[in-house]
Amino acid sequence: MNLDARQKLSSFQAVDAGLDDDGAYAGPSARCVLFTLEDEIYGIYVKKIREVLRVGKIRQVAGTPSHVLGVINVRGVIVTVVDTRTVYGMPRKPITDLSRIIIVELEEEQTVGMMVDFVMEVRDIPESRFEALSSTKENASRYIQGIAHYQNNVIILIDVDNMMMKLT
Amino acid sequence: MDEDILQDFLVEATELVDQLNEQLVDLEQSPSDRDLLNAVFRGFHTIKGGAGFLGITPLIEVCHRAENVFDKIRNGDVEYDAVAADVILRAFDVISDSINLLNEGHRELPENNPTLLKELDALTKGQLAAPVAEESASQPKLSLPADVDPDGDMTDDEFEALLNQRDQLGGASDVEVSQAEKALQLPEGLDPDGEITDDEFEALLNQRDSLDALHVGGVSKTPSLQLPEGMDPDGEITDDEFDALLNQRDLLEMSAMAEPEEEVHVIKPVAKPAVSKAQVASDEEDGSSAGASKAPAKPGTTESTVRVDTKRLDEIMNLVGELVLVRNRLLTLRTTQASGEELSNAVANLDHVTTDLQTSVMKTRMQPVKKVFGRFPRVVRDLARKLGKEIELELRGEETDLDKNLVEALADPLVHLVRNSVDHGIEMPADRIKAGKPKKGTVILAAEQEGDHILLSITDDGKGMDPDVLRRKAVEKGMLDEMTANQLDDKDAFELIMSAGFSTAEQISDISGRGVGMDVVKSMITKLNGSIDIHSVLGEGTRMSIRVPLTLAILPTLMVSFGEDNYAIPLTSVQEIFDYEPEKTNKIDGQMMVRLREKSIPLYFLTEWLAPEKVKDDYYGDKVVIVTIGNQRAGLVVEQVNGQEEVVIKPLGMMLKKVAGYAGATITGNGSIALILDLPGVIHRFQ
Repeated sequence: MNLDARQKLSSFQAVDAGLDDDGAYAGPSARCVLFTLEDEIYGIYVKKIREVLRVGKIRQVAGTPSHVLGVINVRGVIVTVVDTRTVYGMPRKPITDLSRIIIVELEEEQTVGMMVDFVMEVRDIPESRFEALSSTKENASRYIQGIAHYQNNVIILIDVDNMMMKLT
Repeated sequence: MDEDILQDFLVEATELVDQLNEQLVDLEQSPSDRDLLNAVFRGFHTIKGGAGFLGITPLIEVCHRAENVFDKIRNGDVEYDAVAADVILRAFDVISDSINLLNEGHRELPENNPTLLKELDALTKGQLAAPVAEESASQPKLSLPADVDPDGDMTDDEFEALLNQRDQLGGASDVEVSQAEKALQLPEGLDPDGEITDDEFEALLNQRDSLDALHVGGVSKTPSLQLPEGMDPDGEITDDEFDALLNQRDLLEMSAMAEPEEEVHVIKPVAKPAVSKAQVASDEEDGSSAGASKAPAKPGTTESTVRVDTKRLDEIMNLVGELVLVRNRLLTLRTTQASGEELSNAVANLDHVTTDLQTSVMKTRMQPVKKVFGRFPRVVRDLARKLGKEIELELRGEETDLDKNLVEALADPLVHLVRNSVDHGIEMPADRIKAGKPKKGTVILAAEQEGDHILLSITDDGKGMDPDVLRRKAVEKGMLDEMTANQLDDKDAFELIMSAGFSTAEQISDISGRGVGMDVVKSMITKLNGSIDIHSVLGEGTRMSIRVPLTLAILPTLMVSFGEDNYAIPLTSVQEIFDYEPEKTNKIDGQMMVRLREKSIPLYFLTEWLAPEKVKDDYYGDKVVIVTIGNQRAGLVVEQVNGQEEVVIKPLGMMLKKVAGYAGATITGNGSIALILDLPGVIHRFQ
């Protein structure tokens, strides 16, 4: 893990509860919300997330880019919902009972909703598990902050600020 | 004496400053207007009075002198010409800045620039201001640093400066010594008991005034500099006296350092305990510590206030009373299970009361656009004078009301645009004559209500912009390739000046420099849900139009729908609604038109855009809504019209901001989301 990535990760709230696979303490950890798209597991720092909502009525907005599903009313605030699948180049999928909208908070008090297939859990992932990615063009276009191998899973950590900035 | 009084003073002073700003420039135009002259005099006098009560010394000094000048002008002893105006306006700027500082929560004002005070005094004596300026320029090193605040605890730096100066002074010429005095000057007449009553303070002020008058009378060679009491009034200071002064300050400083610092409210004329303990009992010291003030400025204590007519408040109170009555009625009806008719009466009543209440509350937020416009005569005057141009500024529609937030938010972009017009739009007098135009350029700043928007425009009769130069610049900057640039129509070429990175200093000469910060202006206007439009004819002038919504909060709309999807059209733009009959339409030059009372109006089929799945065969919708956009009319074909609704505008968020055609969204009575259409954007989509 290179130094830059480590610094980047530790700038987020680290929770000292991260235990290793075999239950041993594995150093400071980052608390993430894990969700799935297709078969892949993604993570977003919990600090960036305001809430996770069941999917209600989404008002479509004509003339928007294809990754925008529409807007929803979150207690009087209009929030744009982005189809995370489309952002990652996956085909659209009908909304199911498991679908959720993750409301993320960006800079300048902006909020955006991310439609995901399924929200798994909130988990503390030891920072030592994170690997920085080589800065290839492909990775940059995927808004990936890093990858963690954890308990036999590969978790793709999303850089939401970067993602939403690029999509705007 | 407390924060409350200060706040009251600030509200009043801020208003006076606004008025003076305008009056001073008007006065230059018509210097013989006695009413105006009196108003200006009163303005300075009132600020001085308030500042005096609160002991804000730097403010008193300037106001007092300005007042003196205007007293002379009133008596015909002095003429208010351009030179005088320059000095007075500078003094006014000091006052205005001071008020702003106080408004921002600072409680410690910088000491006045002695040059300015001297110039003011010279004006009072009828001397030309210019020589004084030269004189002071020739000895800048010797003037005591203006920041030696009379606060009793000198910093090491200040003291160092004093000592250095003393060395330099050597033979201590009158002027310099007096300046040194000035730094040490303090309100006289303070008891050493550390307390001051209002009466004492009042007396103090009077003393100062009379002392000043004495100087004006010619006792002192440098009337601007008030002698501290206790000094010989002979106008001469010996080196001994001066040294004594310095020593006293020295002592004072040490004592101040020795004592744990106590917070003293800045403008409270309470002598610092440190002073008496150090037993430096001379008048000078008392005063200097009194003026004084160690107190850290309270951050952010400024309240933003609106002045509301009491009548309007009474109206609101009355309506709130009504509202309570309706509520009581409804509560009773609930328990008695009243008939539907009674209930519907009560609800109808509630409807009325809320509408009225809403209007009344909104009105309290409205302010005339004059509040923003008021500063422009000054801006234009100063800039024109600096550039050697002759410019007349015309203000139109100053009485137009708009939301307080908007009034404040519009100030900066407008200043920017007006400056651009003056700086880069209007040509030099010689060039204008060569171009066959009147020598004096005109800038028109206008406001008018246009439906639910306010239209602000800045028009100049200057040299205009050359779209070809703009196209070329864009290519040179690598913003566009040559082909794209050449395809831009003139209007789009003008818009180039509002793109980020277009402007650099070097362009000022060849494209009339309009790119400077225009991208910032544009983003500010966009933030207000407004739009900006440029129209320019080379050689004839430029017109910038800004459209902003009347208020940022509530919008009366017409609800239309396609199936379940609701859209809101700003009601002020809606002219009429009728059934859509395809046989009454025809196609002219590729554009569908409908005939309405002998006029052809272009038709736009919103269904194609908003609900393409509903377009079947020749079906586009059932209703036509005729709207006005600027001075154009257009017919919007929609599926259904649902009626009026007042909506609260909610922003769509950053991600959808760039999608043309929407002004925002709102939540309707049944909890669903309706999109608010932005008509210019909608039409743009179809063109």
